[in-house]
Amino acid sequence: MTHGVLRRAARALAPTAALLALSALPAVAQDPDPFAKLENNRFAVELLIDSANAAGLPSNPLREVALQGIAKHADGRKIVDAVRKELGLLRIAREALSTGDEQELTAAASVLRAGAKPTQLSTFRARKKGRTVLEPFIDWADFLQRGVPNEEAYTAITKLWQDGADDDTFHSLWTNVKADISQGLNPGTALQNRIREGPGRASPATVKPPEGQQENQSSR
Amino acid sequence: MTDSELHPYVEWIAREARRPVVTDQAARDRVMAAVRAEPAPLHRLSIWSRLLAPRAFTFSPAGGALLAAGLVGIGVFAGSMALNRDGRMSVGRPPVAVAPQLPVSNTLVRFVYVAPNANQVYVVGDFNGWDTTKTPLVRTASNGVWTVALPLSAGRHTYSFVVDGSWSADPHAPLAPDDGFGHANSVKLVRGGSSL
Repeated sequence: MTHGVLRRAARALAPTAALLALSALPAVAQDPDPFAKLENNRFAVELLIDSANAAGLPSNPLREVALQGIAKHADGRKIVDAVRKELGLLRIAREALSTGDEQELTAAASVLRAGAKPTQLSTFRARKKGRTVLEPFIDWADFLQRGVPNEEAYTAITKLWQDGADDDTFHSLWTNVKADISQGLNPGTALQNRIREGPGRASPATVKPPEGQQENQSSR
Repeated sequence: MTDSELHPYVEWIAREARRPVVTDQAARDRVMAAVRAEPAPLHRLSIWSRLLAPRAFTFSPAGGALLAAGLVGIGVFAGSMALNRDGRMSVGRPPVAVAPQLPVSNTLVRFVYVAPNANQVYVVGDFNGWDTTKTPLVRTASNGVWTVALPLSAGRHTYSFVVDGSWSADPHAPLAPDDGFGHANSVKLVRGGSSL
């Protein structure tokens, strides 16, 4: 008899349990909030993101900077400063380029962060339809990171750009200059030599990867 | 002693109440005519008054539990929609931070890192929300080559490797300047088609 009562109770409670489980699903299925770790600085980051939206600037780059800071365990104030700086760079980039999608503005902001001047970016205002500044700006920022003086990097990149070089040509230039620098050549000299010789011409130094490293399969 | 003796008027009231009321036919007709002359009550009013009228509901224990569970579910759902994780009300704009998912794309990009002595290598970037444990590389050979292939959307992607907890830029990709956190990142430009 006790078993019968228990069975009836279980049968009666089963739908209730199922309903409770279903009702809890939306809460469980939500992704954890990646900004939760910002704690007191979250509001400042959100304000900056709102400012970007209000100014018609892309806000994703700001989120990426904040997430990157969280991933690198940066101090909250430092994250706010980095997001604020990124917003400022995006503003300058848009003024310099006049137009540009999120990708181009982010790449331009990266070049500015690396040390380029806003007036230099203005050279890239006039762009044919379908031609983007992504590859030139990525290479430019990299050259600055590797110690190429900004004026030399700017001169080389703008020369290729105005000559109508395609992305492969820019990438070849980057590959060759990087290889020359890793061989010990002065960064500025390496770039000048490659521009003089022709940016797409490979040298023996670029064929063999550095010892202990394997060439990365790039997306190109 | 009876109640009637205690309350002499009670007996009189009962007697009067039991006495049949005699009305003439003319009076009854006047009353009925007045009743018929009154407009019938509106149907809506009737429903409204029925809704407002107090009444008692009864539930079985199981039915009550079901109803309670449903109400709890609605409350949890509404709460999760209206509140941020920190308990503040959402103000009708999209969430500020949404963990980016791997973008749907047919462009597979292979990341390779050589670290013979490493125990764990992860790739971390804008394509996985900068999650340091989401995308591990797999050691593919005994010579310390770690690799993973990811579907990425076309465009510029910033990333870095985390090797046994230490950040490391990709030695075979362009460098992106430090965003203010002390580590340079790498950049990958995805155009289209598989790079595997």
